This record gives sequence, structure tokens and C-alpha cells, in this order.
Amino acid sequence: MALKDVKPTRSELIGLKRKIKLSERGYNILKMKRDGLILEFFKVLEEAKNSRGSLQERYNRAVEMIAIANTFEGAIGVKAAAMSVKETPEITLKQKNIMGVVVPEIESSRVRKGLRERGYGLLGTSAVIDETATAFEELVEEIIKAAEIETTMKRLLNEIEHTKRRVNALEFKVIPELTEASTFIKMRLDEMEREELFRLKKIKAKSQKAEA
Amino acid sequence: MEIAVVGNSDFILGFRLAGIKRTYAANRDEKFVEHITTILGSDDIGILVLKGSDMERLSPRLRTTLEESVRPTVIAIGGEEGGLSMRERIKRSVGVDLWK
Repeated sequence: MALKDVKPTRSELIGLKRKIKLSERGYNILKMKRDGLILEFFKVLEEAKNSRGSLQERYNRAVEMIAIANTFEGAIGVKAAAMSVKETPEITLKQKNIMGVVVPEIESSRVRKGLRERGYGLLGTSAVIDETATAFEELVEEIIKAAEIETTMKRLLNEIEHTKRRVNALEFKVIPELTEASTFIKMRLDEMEREELFRLKKIKAKSQKAEA
Repeated sequence: MEIAVVGNSDFILGFRLAGIKRTYAANRDEKFVEHITTILGSDDIGILVLKGSDMERLSPRLRTTLEESVRPTVIAIGGEEGGLSMRERIKRSVGVDLWK
């Protein structure tokens, strides 16, 4: 709000005071929200670090195993085994609310399967296929864990950034400008009052002179 | 709910071995975007798995949608997770490099 747009009236001053009060209240609440979000973020940070590392490790292992399986069994052999797997891992996706940030909460059914549950024939395939399937089952288990943690982290970080921006805007832009405008009106009103007093004194002096 | 995997045929093959049925092979970029859009619209998919390098090829707008999405929750694996790394995000949001 530029100072030239401010009308130096008492009603404007009252309105500005109300706005300042509201902005300060909003600022305090947002500051508390930001601190709360950072605390929540610290809770998931350690988990996220570990999960990214172990996810990468398991992915590398799985890629390595499928390359070996392709070499041993041939691409068609691996594909045939893959197509015969029947049991699908089921997950339940719920949504959790952390200070207004919606984050996922994932639960899953058993991902790892026994040899006989996989669906492909044991005689027609080699142990490499079993090991590859195990490696991928472990990877899927880790993905389910990491998906929840990483999305929570990303959303929390976005919200922290937004809240921080709002807090800073209120602290360094909105509240100082409103305060400046209110000070300007106060000074202008005082000035007008002094002018009025001076004018009255002048009139009084003139009328006294005329009477004499 | 199920898990879906989108990527080239080599990437999705292993996931089929782990029992994931909703695998979508996409060797061209247009096909890839098409599959992702379909998955984003379906209610029965809880997690969408992509390859980090594929994620990087997506348009920034779609990437942001995927990163923000909760249902389905999207995860990129292998290499960088695509877009801003977690380290960069933390630095930008908190102001300190806590990813050490």
C-alpha cells in the first residue's frame, strides 16, 4: 500500500489497526505451523535417508539378477516365468493429515511368496529365476515403504516452503507497510488538529481585535 | 488397490516376476505419457512406479502433478528421482543441507 493512496481519516486508521491486529495473529499462527511442520519433517528425515539408500541397493541387485536370469534362461524363458506368476501384492492406501498436509499411509499384503506360490513350474526353470523373483519381491517391499516416506517428505517440504514464504511476506512486507500507513495517518491527523487549533486561535485573536 | 509399473519392457519384466499385473510397456514418450495419464485417472492404483530417467523426460507440469499426487503415490527408482533431488528440496525449503 503506497502512502499516497492512504486517506488520512479516523475511520481509515481504525480499519488499519484492525488489519494490523489480524495480520499479526495470522503471522503468529503461521509461524507456529511452520515450526510444527519442521518438527514433523525431522521425524521422517532419518527414515527417508535410509529408505532411499536401501531402495537403490535393492534396485541394483534386482537389475543385476534379471540380467543374469536373461543370460541363463534367455529372454523368452524369463518372460514365460514372469507371465505365469499369479498372486498380486495388494495394498491399502489411506490418507493422513499432518497440519493440513495430506500424506499417504500405505499398508500392504504379503509381497514375498514361497516357491510353490509363484505359479511357474519348478522343473522347467532354474534357481536363477527364483532368486530374481525374490530380489524383485524385496524391491517391491522397499518401494511400498519408500513411496509413503518420500511422498510425505516431498509434500511436507512444499508446505514448509509455502508457509515460510507467507510468514516472511507478513513479517517483512504486509505488517511493516500497514504500520507505516497507520503512523502516517496518526501524524497527519495530529497535524490537522494543530492546524485547526492555530486557525481557531487566529480567528479568536482577529475577533478580539475587531471588538476592541 | 494395486501397484502399477510404467517403463520400457526390460524395466517392467522383473516386476511381473514379483507378481505385479498392472505393468505398462512404453518405449515411446507419447505412449509413456498416455499410460501415466490413464493411471492417474484410475481409482484402483495405489502406487505408480517409474524409472528415474523416464521421470526426467516428462514435462515439468506432469512431473509436478506426479510428485504432488497422493492417490496414486508416485515413486521413481534407479538413479536420481527426477526433477529436483531431495537434497535440493531440503536446502530450498529449510535453508540447511540436512541430507548428509
